[in-house]
Amino acid sequence: MSHQASLSFEQAPPFALPLRFFLTAPLFLLAAAILIALAPHTLASRWTPQALALTHALTLGFLAMVMLGALMQMLPVVAGATMPFSRAVGWITHALLALGSTALMAGFLTGDALLYQVGMALLASAFLVFLLAASSSLVRAVASDTVSGMRLAMLCLAITAALGLALALSRSTGWVLAETAAAIAAHAVLGLLGWVLLLVVSVAYQVVPMFQITPPYPPRLARWFAPVLFALLVILALAPLLPQAAASAVALIAQVGLAAGILAFALVTLRLQSRRRRKLPDVSLDFWRLGMASLIASVAAWMLARLSPAWADSDAYPLLLGVLFIGGFAVSVVSGMLYKIVPFLAWFHLQAQLQARAGSIPNMKEMIAQRWMRWHFRLHLLACALLGCATISPGLFAMPGGIATGLSAMLLWLNLVTTTRRYVSHGGRFA
Amino acid sequence: MDPQAKLIEIDARGLEPPEPMEKVMQTLDLLHSGQHIRLLLHREPFPLYPILQSRGYRHDTMPQADGSYVILIRPADTVPGMGG
Repeated sequence: MSHQASLSFEQAPPFALPLRFFLTAPLFLLAAAILIALAPHTLASRWTPQALALTHALTLGFLAMVMLGALMQMLPVVAGATMPFSRAVGWITHALLALGSTALMAGFLTGDALLYQVGMALLASAFLVFLLAASSSLVRAVASDTVSGMRLAMLCLAITAALGLALALSRSTGWVLAETAAAIAAHAVLGLLGWVLLLVVSVAYQVVPMFQITPPYPPRLARWFAPVLFALLVILALAPLLPQAAASAVALIAQVGLAAGILAFALVTLRLQSRRRRKLPDVSLDFWRLGMASLIASVAAWMLARLSPAWADSDAYPLLLGVLFIGGFAVSVVSGMLYKIVPFLAWFHLQAQLQARAGSIPNMKEMIAQRWMRWHFRLHLLACALLGCATISPGLFAMPGGIATGLSAMLLWLNLVTTTRRYVSHGGRFA
Repeated sequence: MDPQAKLIEIDARGLEPPEPMEKVMQTLDLLHSGQHIRLLLHREPFPLYPILQSRGYRHDTMPQADGSYVILIRPADTVPGMGG
């Protein structure tokens, strides 16, 4: 018999809750695109004010926005325990995250201390509210690999946010942060490989077999991936605090472990997808495969940096890693998931609200036009390719890359809005 | 679907969400009294449970050795193990 707690329909989050996150996120992707297109020297190095604003538009405004919205939807189902005050938490977190990200971006672009501080306060509040509510659910959760992965991902989010806060504080006040370089490195690595990657992997254990009809992930990989990666990330983050010779050796070992782990996940996922039951063309699947290929390419770029110190020291290397990991991997995978989650939720809520007879509501494939999803995929692929080239040759490729990204963002937004309108026109409500 | 059969089987293994749920909804609409549904699925269909409950159906889920699931769906007032 099923041991999993079953939610009653009243406990399932209303459609509006995750939807507001999903509809806001593409706007930040558009903002990032505008930054790239209008200021091509943005991609001259990762440290320019525009590059920093752009990075956080992507990681906070787009990725965190979608991921928090998805967590608000998935946590009750996966953990078997509802989030307290979920409507209020959703509303507050969304507003604080949107405003805070905007303020922080403005802070980076203008250097204005007040904007940094406002951004910090808003973002800190957003994450605090969310993490408290989510922890309450996770503490009571039914154990599973997905749940333990989510716990570690959220721990990484908390640490990343705390480090970010400290860094913003030191930028905007006279307070000096010891070990700033180490703090920045830890902030980036825990944010991307901890929060983003661990959450994607934990969610993948559910959504890849479910939506892509693949065999389940190998149990031993699912069990050990998150804890091992988390340990390696902590070691990598703390390595700079060791004496010089030990620091480099320890950091290298941790990086090798991380690279191997990432490669393993990408290859296993591709293999599962090649063994899926129904081999029909599927845009969401293509987004995922692009994501896995980008992970592999990231590892390749990293390996090249081990072999060539010139490449490792170049400005282009970290930017290329950023484009591959954030654009090629995270944005791709998130887009693929949105194209499954949003139509599914629209169908599910229509079904539940209308107690509909068969055929009177659109099926999931009719909720969103396949053709337009395919065009978004093509634009996204083009954008990633152009931006990759832009890291080597910004003058030539940054503006076209920015334009392609902008068009891609607009199409994503339109596709999600169309689904929402279809939902409403068939009688769906947002009570 | 045989109108005389007591147990209607839906083999939804390998179908993409929400096709399994759509098939169940369609079948529920056509169900005569005394008929039950036996759903075969490769994943446990959590989103289905609240919908079944709100329509007055109970579910009994049994994991199978090969990792798939068998879900028996019948009206909520049916006593499990008796009749059906």
